[in-house]
Amino acid sequence: MVDVAVVGAGQTRYGNHPLGLKGMWAEAAREAFNTIDNDFDPVMIDEAFIGSIAFGGSQLGNTAALLTEHSGMDGVAVRRVENACASSGFAFRDAWMAIKSGQADIVVAGGIEKMNDLTPERKRYWLGVSGDTEWERLAGLTFPGTYALMARRYFHEFDSSHDDLVHVSVKNHHHGSLNPMAHIQKEVTFEKASSGFMVADPLTLYDCCPTSDGASCIVLAADHVAKKLTDTPVWVKGSGAASDRLALHDRPSITQLQATQMAGKRAFSMAGIGAEDVDLAEVHDCFTIAEVFATEDLGFAKRGDGGKFAREGLGRLNQGSTTINASGGLKSKGHPLGSTGTGQVVEVFKQLRGEVASSRQVRDAEVGLTHNVGGSGATCAVHVFGRDQR
Amino acid sequence: MKADVWMGYLVQIHDDFTVVQSPFVLNGARVFGADSDATTLAVAALLHRAVDELVTSVSIPDGFDAQSISQATGIQSHNLDDGSTAPWDLLLSDEATVVLARHGAEVTLTELEISVEVDEGFYNAINEAWEAELSTGHVSQGAYVSQAQYEEAALSRLSLVGQTAEGAVLWPPRFSHLVAGVEASNQPLKREGTIQTWTTLSAAGAPSEFSLRAPLLGGISTVLLHLDDGPKGVFLVVDDEDVDFVMNGKMELVLRRLYAQEGVVRYGLKARSIDN
Repeated sequence: MVDVAVVGAGQTRYGNHPLGLKGMWAEAAREAFNTIDNDFDPVMIDEAFIGSIAFGGSQLGNTAALLTEHSGMDGVAVRRVENACASSGFAFRDAWMAIKSGQADIVVAGGIEKMNDLTPERKRYWLGVSGDTEWERLAGLTFPGTYALMARRYFHEFDSSHDDLVHVSVKNHHHGSLNPMAHIQKEVTFEKASSGFMVADPLTLYDCCPTSDGASCIVLAADHVAKKLTDTPVWVKGSGAASDRLALHDRPSITQLQATQMAGKRAFSMAGIGAEDVDLAEVHDCFTIAEVFATEDLGFAKRGDGGKFAREGLGRLNQGSTTINASGGLKSKGHPLGSTGTGQVVEVFKQLRGEVASSRQVRDAEVGLTHNVGGSGATCAVHVFGRDQR
Repeated sequence: MKADVWMGYLVQIHDDFTVVQSPFVLNGARVFGADSDATTLAVAALLHRAVDELVTSVSIPDGFDAQSISQATGIQSHNLDDGSTAPWDLLLSDEATVVLARHGAEVTLTELEISVEVDEGFYNAINEAWEAELSTGHVSQGAYVSQAQYEEAALSRLSLVGQTAEGAVLWPPRFSHLVAGVEASNQPLKREGTIQTWTTLSAAGAPSEFSLRAPLLGGISTVLLHLDDGPKGVFLVVDDEDVDFVMNGKMELVLRRLYAQEGVVRYGLKARSIDN
């Protein structure tokens, strides 16, 4: 069966972007196309999958066609993929599957969200649409509340406290301070992060990702085409995805994400490697507790040891065997919902090709992983990447 | 006459009638709590009476939400159009007091000593917020749950009716049994559970449905309860009582106002500490 590689990847800077949907997507597409080493024309693209929640509702229908129209991709078969915050993680998986199926040779996967042009009330509405509306939402929950419930339960079940989450925040702010594409490019001290404004007890402002504008674009190619487009493809070695119950109260446990566990297992199995082989992982830290869960659910730490993993700084840049969220993660790089999954791929692509500044380069990076979660864990896509094709 | 505290309200029990009163007082008069109204008091009265006595139907005058009362209690609203009389009548006084009386019974109200003084500024502000939320001109920025969707789950939302299918007790109801081709039946669940976890959202973090009232309340609190009958559920905490949350603490579920949409109050079960 055909192998699939990433041959180009680009993104806008995350944050308060001056442009709207069309301009942001065009910028991300341009950045992605520019990373393709050899001759490439957007008309070569067979299919495109663009992840977006269509936050704000300004272009709910035919979002994807509007975007390709403004990026030189006229006529390409395109569709929007919606799986909450995992939209573009799944768009990437769909693109990979399109090539794997033999029906396409060059496919674009991307994501986009414009979040900061809304009033605070409308923003809070859209931030809650991916939870269980009928039961969780009417019980007063948006995602800060949902993850706060999970965090408090985790502290009760395991040897962990809010201090562990502060370590996650401090680390990701440090990584983000080194990333010119990050929304928040500044360090935060332990003292400041531990005394932030309480958003949803026990989670403070420093436990929550920002709402960001942003777009990201990935070009994938079948092996026989990839080698013509670039000398340094990044190979997709494993893809796994899974789903779980939407609402917390329908899950047997709320201190782990079953969808992550299943998706990770499938991706690792396909890649023929384990967590110990991963040099860098971009995990879905929409809230700091989510990174603690991810380190456990993906196998970087044992069950119940995710807090300790953070406390001991094992995910810091080049400190442990796996750097967690070298980009700054959602916490610091930012979280433009639909863009996050493919934005993670941009980071892994550049790290594996050695194209980031030396100050933030993961040493000897050969294998990377992306982990993209929808909602509080209802959907999850995990991908494993490597510099070597085999 | 016996007196009791029931579902966060004061209850007087007489042979032929039950009086349910708000514990809150402003300038010497009883007033409703922040998420209570005549309907929530009426539900408490009916459920209290139904503990020891079969209440088949009740006449419900204007001022109550008859449909929500029936859905929350399982007691039919008596149809007065056919000229018959209901065995029980609901009566509403001016002062946050509801009486459930056997038809024709002579009712005398006894003043109770217990009262909790409320802050006048808060009381006025919360009522203005409810009025604004209920006004037809108010367009909620919150999640949209249609009236039809709300009513489809009304029994589960208002009276904690669960579902048994293939030997398992489920709540809220699911539809997997349709695919599995097995029967599912309704099962009323005990309205008590233990705290598995909780959070208090700041007003800035609360859903937009609560944007008018959350700032006045200092945020809103939510608990995940493990219900005594097995399933788990997330519930808002009542607005008018302080709760000292503790893991595995015991809570009960009582009917309160959740929010208003399209000019209609949406009711639901909220959690309160049994120790209160």
